[in-house]
Amino acid sequence: MITVNGVTKIFGAGTSEVRAVDNVDLEVQPGEFIIILGRSGSGKSTLLGMLAGLIRPTDGIIRIKGLDINTLNDNQIAELRSQEIGFVFQFSGLIPTVTSLENVLIPTLFCPNGPGNRETALGLLKQVGVADRADAYPGTLSSGEMKRVAIARALINKPSILIADEPTGDLDIATESEIMALFRQLNSEGITIIMVTHNPDLIPCATRTYRMTQGRMAREPDSPLCQTLPGTRKEHKDQT
Amino acid sequence: MSRKMHVITLIIAGLKNRPGRNLATIFCFAFIAANIFSAQYFMAGAAGNAEKGISRMGADSIVVPAQYEVFIKGNQMGPATANGIIRVEPSNFRVSNDIMDKIRKVPGISDMSPQLFVVTQAIPELSLSPVNIYGIDPETDFTIRPWLHRPLEKTLGPNEVIVGSDIAGEPSSQISVSCQLYTIAGKLDPTQSPVDHSIFLRMDDAYALAAAEASLSPSFSPIGKGVVSAVLVKAGPEADPDMISARIQQPFPSSYIRVIGRNFALEPVSQEVSGLPNLLNMISGVVVLASLPLIALIAAMVAHERQREIGLLRAMGAKRKTIFSLVMAESLVLAAIGGIAGIGACLFTFSLLNTQALLNGALQITFVTPQLARISQMASLALLVVIAIGSISSLWPAYQSSRMSPYDAIRSDR
Repeated sequence: MITVNGVTKIFGAGTSEVRAVDNVDLEVQPGEFIIILGRSGSGKSTLLGMLAGLIRPTDGIIRIKGLDINTLNDNQIAELRSQEIGFVFQFSGLIPTVTSLENVLIPTLFCPNGPGNRETALGLLKQVGVADRADAYPGTLSSGEMKRVAIARALINKPSILIADEPTGDLDIATESEIMALFRQLNSEGITIIMVTHNPDLIPCATRTYRMTQGRMAREPDSPLCQTLPGTRKEHKDQT
Repeated sequence: MSRKMHVITLIIAGLKNRPGRNLATIFCFAFIAANIFSAQYFMAGAAGNAEKGISRMGADSIVVPAQYEVFIKGNQMGPATANGIIRVEPSNFRVSNDIMDKIRKVPGISDMSPQLFVVTQAIPELSLSPVNIYGIDPETDFTIRPWLHRPLEKTLGPNEVIVGSDIAGEPSSQISVSCQLYTIAGKLDPTQSPVDHSIFLRMDDAYALAAAEASLSPSFSPIGKGVVSAVLVKAGPEADPDMISARIQQPFPSSYIRVIGRNFALEPVSQEVSGLPNLLNMISGVVVLASLPLIALIAAMVAHERQREIGLLRAMGAKRKTIFSLVMAESLVLAAIGGIAGIGACLFTFSLLNTQALLNGALQITFVTPQLARISQMASLALLVVIAIGSISSLWPAYQSSRMSPYDAIRSDR
């Protein structure tokens, strides 16, 4: 589903050059739940940005469903994002002046032939547990509710890949658990998830875990808990 | 609500996002629209005045008794002399209307109409200023009729008068002059001239009034039938007015009549009238030019503040052209709202103020309220201009927003 070969991202030049991602390889199969750990500045968000086509790599190849995104122009990448990739940010990123339901519907503007519509949006809000807040404005939602609405928004066009950049970074433990349970549920429904976090406690949710340090990525040992948590998919662990 | 979201929801959401800034932008657009619209409005009013003025003063030549020119020049020098003639300064010099038969034979004349000054009277119940009374030929008049506030329903009849704007009384009411009762058939718009406190009646009524006046006042010089104070002549569209003036003068000795040409009579006034629209146009131009960078700056600031939102939209799959269109659309909506608000505020203010009196007093011009169709045209023009300003000033911010790296935009204010 996603193939990353020797991807490098360098910011700046000369003495101010920063190698944010350094020669990373990754192969993600459909339905996997990949967690990438790392401290701030380790390059994990940059890697996610490249996987989502938001940043062009300096070197290397990224293929999504067989398409080399380096060969696509901006419009083609935007189209790919709108159809295949859902993005959840650390901050909720909701537009404050429209309701939860309208926030969820925004991506449908960019994917007019996609499956997303009002009924789908209401169904997603129900699925993430905030159906009763469909008409509420983001300012009246709790952090957890906002995050759930943001997840519903990421799923409106039925993407096959969900990319999450520290989605539980600013949440309390109880809400974090609820969100992770939701991610596991989505993963069990077949959505491929690639998530960045600095919290090693979330490792048990993943089918595979990587750690990034100074732009380089290394596989982490599997957690024995992975197989016991509902929603994790042992078959992918076996494949890798 | 449709099954999918409509883009207008996102535009409105963007507008609601920064209400203070957007209100300031709307205010700017409203100010520009109000300026353009009011300038157009005043210009149209002034142009209406100019049109009337030119019609009123539309005589290319004025034929007067030779003594009249000496009288005017002897009393007022320079431009005031011209104004004196245009304003139909009363004089007691008269000439036989036989001259009209000869004048009529001059080729190229399209209109010709006599005027007779009868008397100046103090009539406090009609005007605080002394009232001038003139005789005109309603059938041929082309100088007084254009000043009428409302056109006459029929030709001026016996014992009917047209009164200047300062004369008390409304159409259909009666006034008394030298013990004679007259019905007001029409009232003139303000002219800022002695015409405002003048009364115009038919020639035969004028002769009758002169006879009555002579019987009442021994000092009044009798006016015999068949005399006129001036003959106003208008050249045809193809004719050369100077040539016509010369031809009119030709059969008459210069000691009998004098032909005063259009240039001599009209230039000072027409320059005065045409100067105002130029000034208003210049002010509008300065406002429009000054507003462009201001609006562009506001648009750039708004776009900068919304970097993260724009990055989010890009991350959700928005194409560059979509972002460009969104920023442009928001600016156009603000421009349209501001434009409509500015024009509405102008119309409301104009309806509250007595625009005519204000302008007549302040600018010393006669303001003619434009017609509804003309007002609609001016409003459309003002709206188009502010929308154009909104478009032009938002082009660069919209382009920059659309070129922004979505990743950098999302992380811009973390």
